[in-house]
Amino acid sequence: MTPIKNRGFHGGYRFRNFEASPLDKLAAAGVPSKVTISLMQGFSDEVACLVQPGVQVKAGQIIGRDDERVSSPVHASVNGKVVKIEKLEYLGSEVAAVTISSDGTDGWQALQGYSARWDSLTAEQIETLIYLSGASGAGRSGIPTRFKSSIISCDDVEEVIIHGVESEMYGPLSGALLTGDCLSKFADGVKILRKMLPKAGFHVAMNAERESLIAGVSDALSGNDWVEVCGLQSRYPADYDEVLVSTVLGRSVPAGHLAAHIGVIVLDIRDVLSVYEAVVEGKPVIERTVALCGPGFTENPHVRVRIGTPLEHVIGGNLRADKAWRFLRNSALTGERFLEMTQTIDRNCDAVIAVHENDGREMFAFVQPGPRKDSYTPTFLSAILGGKLTKRGETNLHGEERPCISCGFCEEVCPAGLIPHHLFHYVERNIIDETLLRFKIYDCIDCNLCAYVCPSKITLGRHIKSGKDKLINEGLTCPRPPFALKGTGTQKD
Amino acid sequence: MKAVRSLLDKLYTVPQLARFKPVIGAADAILYGTNETTHAAPHVVDNIDIKRYMSLVIVALLPAVAAAFFLFGWRVIAIIMVSYMAGGAVEVIFAIIRKHDIHEGFLITGLIFPLVLPPTTPLWVVAVGVVFGTMFGKEMFGGTGRNIFNPALVGRLFITIAFPAIMTMNWQTPFASGPEAITTATPLTTFKSTAQTSTINPSVVEAGTEQVLFTNAGAVKKATQNPQSEFAGVQVYCMGDAAYEKAAHHRRIEEGKASRLVSYGDLLIGKEPGSMGETCRLAILAGGLLLIGLRVSNWRIPVSYMTTVFIFAAVGSHFLPAKIAPPMFQVLAGGLLFGAMFMATDPITSPFTKAGKYIFGISCGVLTVLIRSFSGYVEGVMFSIVIMNAFTPLIDQMVLMFKYRPVKA
Ligand code: SF4
Ligand code: SF4
Repeated sequence: MTPIKNRGFHGGYRFRNFEASPLDKLAAAGVPSKVTISLMQGFSDEVACLVQPGVQVKAGQIIGRDDERVSSPVHASVNGKVVKIEKLEYLGSEVAAVTISSDGTDGWQALQGYSARWDSLTAEQIETLIYLSGASGAGRSGIPTRFKSSIISCDDVEEVIIHGVESEMYGPLSGALLTGDCLSKFADGVKILRKMLPKAGFHVAMNAERESLIAGVSDALSGNDWVEVCGLQSRYPADYDEVLVSTVLGRSVPAGHLAAHIGVIVLDIRDVLSVYEAVVEGKPVIERTVALCGPGFTENPHVRVRIGTPLEHVIGGNLRADKAWRFLRNSALTGERFLEMTQTIDRNCDAVIAVHENDGREMFAFVQPGPRKDSYTPTFLSAILGGKLTKRGETNLHGEERPCISCGFCEEVCPAGLIPHHLFHYVERNIIDETLLRFKIYDCIDCNLCAYVCPSKITLGRHIKSGKDKLINEGLTCPRPPFALKGTGTQKD
Repeated sequence: MKAVRSLLDKLYTVPQLARFKPVIGAADAILYGTNETTHAAPHVVDNIDIKRYMSLVIVALLPAVAAAFFLFGWRVIAIIMVSYMAGGAVEVIFAIIRKHDIHEGFLITGLIFPLVLPPTTPLWVVAVGVVFGTMFGKEMFGGTGRNIFNPALVGRLFITIAFPAIMTMNWQTPFASGPEAITTATPLTTFKSTAQTSTINPSVVEAGTEQVLFTNAGAVKKATQNPQSEFAGVQVYCMGDAAYEKAAHHRRIEEGKASRLVSYGDLLIGKEPGSMGETCRLAILAGGLLLIGLRVSNWRIPVSYMTTVFIFAAVGSHFLPAKIAPPMFQVLAGGLLFGAMFMATDPITSPFTKAGKYIFGISCGVLTVLIRSFSGYVEGVMFSIVIMNAFTPLIDQMVLMFKYRPVKA
């Protein structure tokens, strides 16, 4: 068994026991009648479209690929016919999206050259399979292959961090992703990656509290001295790349840059399972496991859905009708809203959250003991009794916006060690100059925890983000660190 | 309750009341909470708000209020009501002029202010003080969050300077009424005047000495053990119960000539004269510790403030016993505990940096002892906090300049 190390970081907050957290249960959403697949998935550039409306496609067939830009291929996720190609809004920009109407069959076309005996494959063959399957488009900077799938090359990779850390209020459970034979598939996936990146050190990070899971992972990987298993505290935002790099490796990501720039690749459990499926089963990334979280759902399973599935198909009949719900993508703290039920699941979606759109008033809310109200401060019963009570997931502001009273909560929780209210005062008064750089605004990792805890209901995170944007407009970009960064030649800028 | 709800909804629509929207809104928000939701990420937010935050400070002040009521009677309630009404009126007027919501801060100012007043303060002086404090301590700077000085302290200082006779001459002995209950002396004044006329901690009591003051039990022991001491006809004052016990039962000190200048036990439970909310130190401690436990106030300032007073007084009274009172007395007497727990910790007017908080606390401590010992005033807590309030932005700036190196962009 590989030794387990437990590590923490400064600041952060542990969200405990929110109502309707996802269950340790895996279900399949089935094949939808129609999918809309964006040609830009995750961090990568938009790829060139290889199909026209009217053509028949098979699930797993590559419909978009661009070998000139940093990207990974995009696949059809169902068998059927391309009905339309149009520009759609995707995370703030206009991107082409392919709509395919499905014939209802659930088969898929396998990749060429995969092998159940993966150890007989060469590193080169593995790289090709990972690229062609689209699994290389993982994380915030991709898995490097001989194709342009990441901003850095294979030789640049010094460390690989694979994490199954749960720290969000609502998010997928690692236990659900690693049930049954998934655990051994995961272990093989890690070994496959090692074969491809023989010089890199591997680190698998899980929540320290999930003792049996961490022991299982540790067992499955035992006997390999190149991999270390570590337990992390489940305090938010323990699963952010910047925080993982500092807790797991003791290094720091230079402000405003990516972990890849210092040669670190950060992946999650699903990314590794995709690698396994691509190499051993020849299966391209046409599915994604999504956790359905929050009180809006009658049940909270993890579901396997085809990429491009509209939200309405994912939810199906699993919605409670008694209240109004707000649907969120991936995170209640940083996620975007799903505005329409026709919006689709993409490769980077790992949770759909439905919280109560609570615009109801509550009598004497500010003096109630609050057994079901989450708070960072021990001024609520729920915080005093710790994890035993379930907290409500709802969108009420719970108070009015007020001027900052310098209570210091935002500073206490900031994982980047910043003084958010101080930065806010500058941005609010529109003082956009070197002072912001001096107070390390670029160290902010946009976790939004400061805005979560603020009793004055100030949206600190958004102000700080706009401060960064304004600085960039002024030409005051984040200074380069005094050492060479990897992969900056191929970066988008 | 439906009737109240519909009444409020109706009030919003009355055109003549449009200017009073802040008042209606405040009543609404207090009764019914908010119906606002988050606009964007974070979509779910913490349940704490300023109302709860501020109301916990009030909860923490309740023991002190209860003690004040118990010690000084109904007058306390009258003073608090006047303070709330006058302070509230100023807040409402400014909310209407500035067209913003009514901010909850005045609920604290309006309660802290009366608690630092002598129980005999005339009601009109209370009103003048709180109005001055809110206007010039807060609103002139742009309202809550921008004020440099603690508004309650500004009001208190104003009336101390404007009406010195009222503010320093009339103190009421707890549990007493009638003219003889009014005294001119708080323990701090008593120490100052006694120290001026006595020989302090003599190791030998010379014959012909009229009056000696022992500030601790050790000094009593030393003087009584010295065979050359001559106690006949000497009036012996003792600070603290331990010193008094030693002197009262000592065979060399004449019967009835030993007296206790101050009892630390009495100070703790509030049996000595002082400002209404400042006398019962136990109640203050209970409230202050509650706030620190709930993380509504930070421990750094009160701890560094009181530790500094203690250490400075311990060293100082060793070398200058006639000027600087002994440490235990300094910590328990006057408004120190209340000031350190409830006024120096005001987050708006004290530094937000950690190092700044220590600097603030230590400076307040040094200033308090200096003012108490070497100035014409007997109490220095308010002055030191107000002085340090003025330095707060500077302290924070210095700490930040030190912590964050300038960057070349
Ligand atoms: S949490 Fe809010 S009120 Fe408190 S210091 Fe930060 S910004 Fe100010
Ligand atoms: S959003 Fe930025 S400033 Fe706020 S807590 Fe997170 S890292 Fe700190």
